Amino acid sequence: MLEQILEILTEICGADPGELQADTALFDEGLLDSFALVQLIVALEERFSVTLDPADLERKDMATPAAIAETVRARQPS
Amino acid sequence: MEFLERLARLAETDRVAIRYRDVALTFAQLDAQSDAFAAWLLETFGEDRTPILLWGHKDLALPVCMFGALKAGRAYVPVDTTFPADRVARILEQVRPRLAVNLSGGALEAPVVLDAAALEAILRRPAAKDRRSWVGPSDVAYMLFTSGSTGNPKGVQITAGNIAAFCRGVEPWFRLEGDGGVFLNEISYSFDVSVCPLYYGLGRGMTLWTVDKDTLGDTKALFQSLEASGLDIWVSTPSLGEICLQSPRFRRELLPRVQKFVFCGEVMTCRLGAEMLERFPGAKVYNAYGPTETTVLVTAVEITPEMCSGRPALPIGYGFSNLECRILDPETHAPVPDGESGELAIVGDCVSPGYFRQPEQTARVFFTAEDGRRGYRTGDLCRRGADGLIDYFGRLDGQVKLNGFRVELEDVEANLLKVDNIARAAVLPVTVDGTVQGLTAFILLEKPDGMTSLQRAKAVKQALGALLPSYMVPRKIRCVDRFPLNPNGKIDKKALADLV
Repeated sequence: MLEQILEILTEICGADPGELQADTALFDEGLLDSFALVQLIVALEERFSVTLDPADLERKDMATPAAIAETVRARQPS
Repeated sequence: MEFLERLARLAETDRVAIRYRDVALTFAQLDAQSDAFAAWLLETFGEDRTPILLWGHKDLALPVCMFGALKAGRAYVPVDTTFPADRVARILEQVRPRLAVNLSGGALEAPVVLDAAALEAILRRPAAKDRRSWVGPSDVAYMLFTSGSTGNPKGVQITAGNIAAFCRGVEPWFRLEGDGGVFLNEISYSFDVSVCPLYYGLGRGMTLWTVDKDTLGDTKALFQSLEASGLDIWVSTPSLGEICLQSPRFRRELLPRVQKFVFCGEVMTCRLGAEMLERFPGAKVYNAYGPTETTVLVTAVEITPEMCSGRPALPIGYGFSNLECRILDPETHAPVPDGESGELAIVGDCVSPGYFRQPEQTARVFFTAEDGRRGYRTGDLCRRGADGLIDYFGRLDGQVKLNGFRVELEDVEANLLKVDNIARAAVLPVTVDGTVQGLTAFILLEKPDGMTSLQRAKAVKQALGALLPSYMVPRKIRCVDRFPLNPNGKIDKKALADLV
């Protein structure tokens, strides 16, 4: 899942392939803002068939690719 | 000034004017503290009416200083904390204020600078109300600096009379059932949509519910704030509506009292209109439009379900009853018949006297109508149907609206060239469903820098962040080996867009 998330983020953030790491701080590095976050949520919902409610999401839930993977995993049906 | 009279009358009630975090500022406090600030201004600077600069975000002291300035007969220039020190310095160069109130914590130079502590001491002093020094209808009340195509911001002057015309124009659209109400106050004070809560909302005795940028940037905190707000009227950009719509919780139950949603500042999609109507039964939803130069808003329309299909975007509406909308031929400036597209011009009491100390730029877009009223050519391509509804199709120049903020692409390009090792630059908007979602900068390096894309993007964004407000910094920075050029040697933006 992490690989696919990195792929989505690479497109949204305009990074070189392989450049983003699991622990890249997306907000601190200026790669994500609230508008890019909207795009990201839409892409994640489509790719992983989950529902991500922004009203329940804190910054730390989306802070790194690894945190995003954890957030998505926690919302997938078991 | 009628607004200041209203404040004085509301000061006799026990109503709350503005809520921010856990603090409530009453009308009595707002009125008394702005009297105190006015008295101090007159005492310290006498008859010198140079505008004062206010640098901060949503601090409760900012509206106090704004109204205090008006009571002392001078204009204020609000500058948000998203403006970096360099941009503020370029505004200071133009305005040359004697006084700057600095609540931002950034560095700023002016003959007299008040920080939060110094200001607080002034606001606590008792002062008598002196109406003789208040601004009159033709005096400038505020100046807002917007993106200018030369890379330097330009100041739009708005008079007390312009504000009064605005409040009359929006009355039928903003009026609420019942007395008082709670008005959303989320927009930076350096952006003119904030005039809606400040002058219309407070002037009608409403309470402003303040949401700052940290809360806006954290959707969980935003929803907690909205849930506690008890909002009656919401005015924001469509972007904020789109962000909120991503949550299924954004519906009637979250805002049980809300009567009106007004969206303005950028293109409103049909999807947003249809979703809002469905999720908030009983609430009215409006699309409204207006340039800063004609005081916030000049057209509006109530959105109906039928309007939300069969067109690319919602119409911007009907002209307000106290002004005139004209559609002109962009070349000859002669009116075109209804049904034909042309440049929208606004004529009426809401039109600004012009740009601060920029007579040439002012003469280029402002004019005097046959009957002596002031007019402004907006640069917006529009069409009026036989039913009087006006549709918007885009700009005649390189300006874009990003989350409601006006951005001249040339302004961003000019500032990119100030960054080390950049030989040429072009900035393109990223458009999704007709709405600008962000900016992408294309750069040509002077010499190889050995960086990865992310490292370079971070370095360029950091350098640009010191020159421009954060909303003008492109999200993506892409390096190119060469730029596609027009026959006349200019960067061919269409070809560049196709490269993406």
